[in-house]
Amino acid sequence: MLVIWKREKPLENAIEVKELTKFYGSLLAVDHVNFEVKDKEVFGLLGPNGAGKTTTVRMICGMLRPTSGTVVVAGFDVSQKPREAKRRIGLVPDISNLFGELSAKVNLEFMGKLYGLDKKTRRERIDQVLELFQLKERQNDRVKYYSKGMHRRLTIAAALIHQPEILVMDEPTSGLDAQTARLVREIIIDLNKEGRTILLTTHQIAEADRLTQKVGIIDSGRLIALNTPEQIKNSTEGMRALEIKILNGADQQRWIPIISEAEGVDKAFLSEGKIRILSKDLAQTILRVVNLVDKHGGKIENISVVQPTLEDAFINLTGKSIREEPMSKEEYLKQRLPRSGLR
Amino acid sequence: MKTSTSLMHSIWIAENDLRQSFMSVRHVVWSLLFPIFMLFTFSFRYGVSGPDVEFINFLIPGIVSMTAMFGSINETMSIVWDKSMGVFDRILAAPVSSTSIIVGKTMAGAVMGVISALVLLIIGSTFFGVQFANIGAVILIILLASFSFTGIGTIISGLASEPREAMMLSNLLRFPMMFLGGVFFPTEAMPMPLPYVAKALPLTYATEAMRTIQVGGNISIIFIDAVVLLVHTVGTMLLGSQILMRIMTR
Repeated sequence: MLVIWKREKPLENAIEVKELTKFYGSLLAVDHVNFEVKDKEVFGLLGPNGAGKTTTVRMICGMLRPTSGTVVVAGFDVSQKPREAKRRIGLVPDISNLFGELSAKVNLEFMGKLYGLDKKTRRERIDQVLELFQLKERQNDRVKYYSKGMHRRLTIAAALIHQPEILVMDEPTSGLDAQTARLVREIIIDLNKEGRTILLTTHQIAEADRLTQKVGIIDSGRLIALNTPEQIKNSTEGMRALEIKILNGADQQRWIPIISEAEGVDKAFLSEGKIRILSKDLAQTILRVVNLVDKHGGKIENISVVQPTLEDAFINLTGKSIREEPMSKEEYLKQRLPRSGLR
Repeated sequence: MKTSTSLMHSIWIAENDLRQSFMSVRHVVWSLLFPIFMLFTFSFRYGVSGPDVEFINFLIPGIVSMTAMFGSINETMSIVWDKSMGVFDRILAAPVSSTSIIVGKTMAGAVMGVISALVLLIIGSTFFGVQFANIGAVILIILLASFSFTGIGTIISGLASEPREAMMLSNLLRFPMMFLGGVFFPTEAMPMPLPYVAKALPLTYATEAMRTIQVGGNISIIFIDAVVLLVHTVGTMLLGSQILMRIMTR
C-alpha cells in the first residue's frame, strides 16, 4: 500500500461539476453535466466511445476550458485556481503517455520536478513507486522497451509521484490483457482503501459495476443517470432479465430481430455470446419466445432468469448497447479537436 | 506563481526535450548528416577539380546558419509529436503555466539550433580551415538565428494537427528558404523578384551576418542583420505563442 498523506482539512466533495458544457464549434460534446464525487469515493463515468467522457475529464483536470459551467477540485475552482487544483489531481490518461526515449526513473524525476518536489522527496517517492509497481529492476531501461503492462503501471506510478488526493483515470484498463487489467483493478481498489478519491471513466459495464461506489451514465454528452450501481440496476423498475442460448446458433445475432418481435419483449440484445431479453412480464414472455424460436426452426440450449445488470440498465436508459465498434467521424472529430491549433 | 518557479519549469521542460533528442542517437546523427552532406556536395564546383577553397569560405557561414535552422525547427516540432503521442497532455495536466511550457519548448529549440550549428562550425574549421574573426559575434548571431527559427517552429507546431502535416509544412518553408536564403548562391545574383523574397527570410540575414564576420567586414551590416533577426524572433515568437496558447487554453 502507498504512503498515507495528511490532508489539512477534510472535504465533503472531492470534485464538484456544475452545469459543465463544452462546444467544439457547433458540436456539443458535453451538455450541462452535473455531478459530485464524494471524498474517498470511487466514481465511475460510464458511457460509449465519443459520449463525452474524455472531454469531461480534460475539463476536470484543467486541460480544456469549459464553454460554460464550473469544476471545483478539492475546494479549488479549476478555472480560477488551475494550478492549485492540478496539484491535487493525479491523471492516468487512456494512453500510456510517457517519454519513450527516457528511463522510468528519468520520467518520474521529470514529473516530480513539474509538481514541485524537492530533490530528496523526489528520490524517496521515485524509489517508493518503483518498488510498489515492481519496476525497480528495469528503472534505468528506456520506457519504449517496456511491455504494455509495464507502461500502464508506470503511467499510474507517474500520476502518484506527487501523492495526489484525487486520482483521475481515463479508461484505465482499456486495451490491456486480462491479467494486467486485473492488476490495474487491484491497484485501484488499494488506492481507494488508502483514502484516495478516484474518478474513472470506462465503457466496460462490468468494471464500473465491480469498482465504483457511484456511477454516472453519460451518453451523447448528457448525464442520463447518476446513482450507485445497485440503484441504477434497480431503476429497471420491475424489468426482469432472461438469458437464452440457441443450439447450434453460432450466429446468435440473427435471432435478435426475430425475438424482438415477440409480444412482451422490451429489449433483446447479445451479451457475452448469449441473447439477453428484458421484459416486464417474464412468465408470458418466456412462453412466447420459446414458441417463436421453435417456429423458426431453432432449439433452445439453455434458458435462465437472471438479475438485471448495469448493462441492462444502460440499454434500458439509452436504448443502445455500449459499443466497441470504430468511432464515427463525429466522435473522431470530438476527440481530435482539442489537439490542433487551427480549429 | 513566482517567476523563478516558472523559469525552473521552463528549464526542466527544455532539459527533458533535449535529453529525449540526444538519447536517440539516430535522431542526432541523421539531422547532422544532412548539412554535412550538403557541405561536402557543394564544396565541389562544376569544372573545378577538388574542393574550391574560395567557394568554401563563402559556403560555410551559410551552411552553419542553415544547420541552426534545421536544428531549431526540428526540435520545436517535437511539440507536434508530443501532441500526437499524448505526452503534451502530461505537461498540460501538471501545475505549470502555459507560458512556462512555451518558453521551455523555445529554449530547447534554440539550444538545439546552437549545438547543431556549432558542430558544423567545428567541421568547417577542422576540415576546411575556415576561420572566423570574432567567435563571440558568431555565437550571438547563431543564437539570434536559432531563436528566430524556433519562432517559425512554434508556428508550424501550432498549425499542424499531426506530425506528417508538420513535416510537410516545415519542408514547405525550409527548402525554399535554404535555396533563397543566400546559403549556396549570393542573393544579389538571383533573378528578379527572388532578391526581394530573400529579404523576407531570416536565413538571409543570418547568412549575411556570418559571412561578414568571417571576412571581417563592416560591423554595421552585422548590427543591422542582428536587429532584423531580433525583430523576426519577437514577431514569430509572439505569433507562435498565440497559436500554441490557443491549443493549451481552449
